[in-house]
Amino acid sequence: MVLLREGLCPGLSEDLVKALREEDVRTVEDLVLSDPEQLAQKCSVSYKALVAVRRVLLAQHAAFPVSGADLYDELLSSTSILSTGIASMDNLLDSGLYTGEITELCGGPGTGKTQTCFSVAVNVAHELKQKVMYIDTNGGLSAARLLQMLQQKTVNTAEQMNALQRISVLRVFDVFALLSCLQSLRASGLQKGDVGGSVKAVIVDSVSAVLSHMLGGKQNEGMSLMMQVATELKVIAKDFNVAVLVTNHVTRDGNNQVKAGLGQSWSHVPRTRILLQRVERPGASSNLRTAALLKSSRQPCYMMEEFDLSPQSQGESWPGFAGKRKLDTDS
Amino acid sequence: MRRAYTVVRGEEMSGRVRMAENCAQLLARIEGRRSLKDMDQHIFPVNGGPAQGDVIEFHGVEGSGKTEMLYHLLSRCILPTHCGGLEVEAFFVDTDYHFDMLRLVSILEARLTSSPLESEMEEVVRSSLRRLSVLHCSSSVQLLLTLHYLEGILCSRPALCLLVIDSISSFYWIDRANGGDSLVRQEANLRKCTEILDRLRRDYGVVVFATTHAVMRNYSSSSTASGPAEPSRSTPSWKCSSDFDKQYLCRAWQKLLTHRLLFSKSDHSSVSEDHKQLFSVASNTVRTKGVHRCVFYVTEAGVQFSE
Repeated sequence: MVLLREGLCPGLSEDLVKALREEDVRTVEDLVLSDPEQLAQKCSVSYKALVAVRRVLLAQHAAFPVSGADLYDELLSSTSILSTGIASMDNLLDSGLYTGEITELCGGPGTGKTQTCFSVAVNVAHELKQKVMYIDTNGGLSAARLLQMLQQKTVNTAEQMNALQRISVLRVFDVFALLSCLQSLRASGLQKGDVGGSVKAVIVDSVSAVLSHMLGGKQNEGMSLMMQVATELKVIAKDFNVAVLVTNHVTRDGNNQVKAGLGQSWSHVPRTRILLQRVERPGASSNLRTAALLKSSRQPCYMMEEFDLSPQSQGESWPGFAGKRKLDTDS
Repeated sequence: MRRAYTVVRGEEMSGRVRMAENCAQLLARIEGRRSLKDMDQHIFPVNGGPAQGDVIEFHGVEGSGKTEMLYHLLSRCILPTHCGGLEVEAFFVDTDYHFDMLRLVSILEARLTSSPLESEMEEVVRSSLRRLSVLHCSSSVQLLLTLHYLEGILCSRPALCLLVIDSISSFYWIDRANGGDSLVRQEANLRKCTEILDRLRRDYGVVVFATTHAVMRNYSSSSTASGPAEPSRSTPSWKCSSDFDKQYLCRAWQKLLTHRLLFSKSDHSSVSEDHKQLFSVASNTVRTKGVHRCVFYVTEAGVQFSE
């Protein structure tokens, strides 16, 4: 809703604004929806001026049509695919996370959602030398684990520190803070921090932690907030051409089938959705997980891959690691 | 000649004659927009294709092939006639922010396999894409203003025949919460959008495709009444998600519709070994009786209908 005020567009003088206000035309929307002929008579202002103002305001506030050919050229030059750092996951995603899209990881507690997010963050910060915005909503972020992952990639301490610097962490613990955080990111054009490289990935771990308890019952506020978060994420992904990765919890439906949380309305939000599950095979390593593609516009759905949460650490054990993962519970 | 007329429009149009149409509108009306009736004989029943001014709703749960079907129809519209298209212009209003240009291009390319030369194919794809304009809207007010803005564009572009809105329901929850307790206020934005859409289709004969997300469970439907624990195998595949077919958008929108396509996907368990998931679409029109059904699957090259 944009209020009409002097200087909003050429031709919208103070007198015109005042005259319109007397006829209860206060916003751009009111002016566009009103019949310019009747309005000109009522306010006794020039019809021509009114039509001109209306046309300019429409051009300013409506979405701008982009020719498909231009959009295609722009996309070819700007889309990048970010590797997740996990080969089989990249396989599922058709070589990685695409910029301009929202990808969702869903799974129960301890299925490796947060670990996958870490892997993406480390990979983008270290291999691609790009910045990552990590929005942590459940306190699951562990800098020690990030460093551990980086140490496996390089022994150079300076490189490790540079990579860690490229990961900005924002901690928010409720949906309102998340919304205002996303809005300020959008307003500032994702310009934060002073290290080189542009932000290529925004990770929200997890969206369900702040959203799921808002839903349910007959009230609409929770749904509205959820869709506002969704809109912010979509606009950020598109406008700044970044890959957005979110995590979600799982529930079971009537047939006891695992399905992603947050319901039907949210299910339209992510472009790609991956379900993570533990491998329940006797003798299988406790770090083994399966990833199944639930939704994708590029690959056939229900493709499945197996991966190890600690691929570089064959034979080694991580005493502190399993305990830390326990913290990664949803809501 | 057309240009000469449109220039006149700006200065000459005065408010004295109420129902007068300007020359561009007149031309668009007399020349007529190209009919999209024979757009696709699989989805639309015989003689039930979209005529000028039809509004068609694509309704379905997530991943039921709505957007994929839009790409299929869109590619048919924007391809040149010598490549089996209709060669008309289209506007795609993307409110879900998930329009996938790369996907559309790969579908277009798959349809041009008969073309011998690679460079020639690329040129055809580019010229087809020039017939498409994409707009992104992030709020219902912006959608409303955009539709008003389109009115100005429509009268100067007689080749523009198709307006796609994906999806019209994306601001539903935000509008509902913003409207407070009054249902009238909750639905105000969508109702205003419907009014302008009605004008666009009536005055300019443009065909409107709009998708709606199936998010409301229809508790009165028989499938839920029989109990959720009932094994899904016993129900035909297209009925699996029929409990989500409740129409929840405002009444004005329901009245505007001339066709309603219900999309559903087959159950996870029935997916065959080769990952071929079947989708089905049931189409209802105001003009023909009964429901027309067809089954399709999605490949790299887009929608394929199974006979």
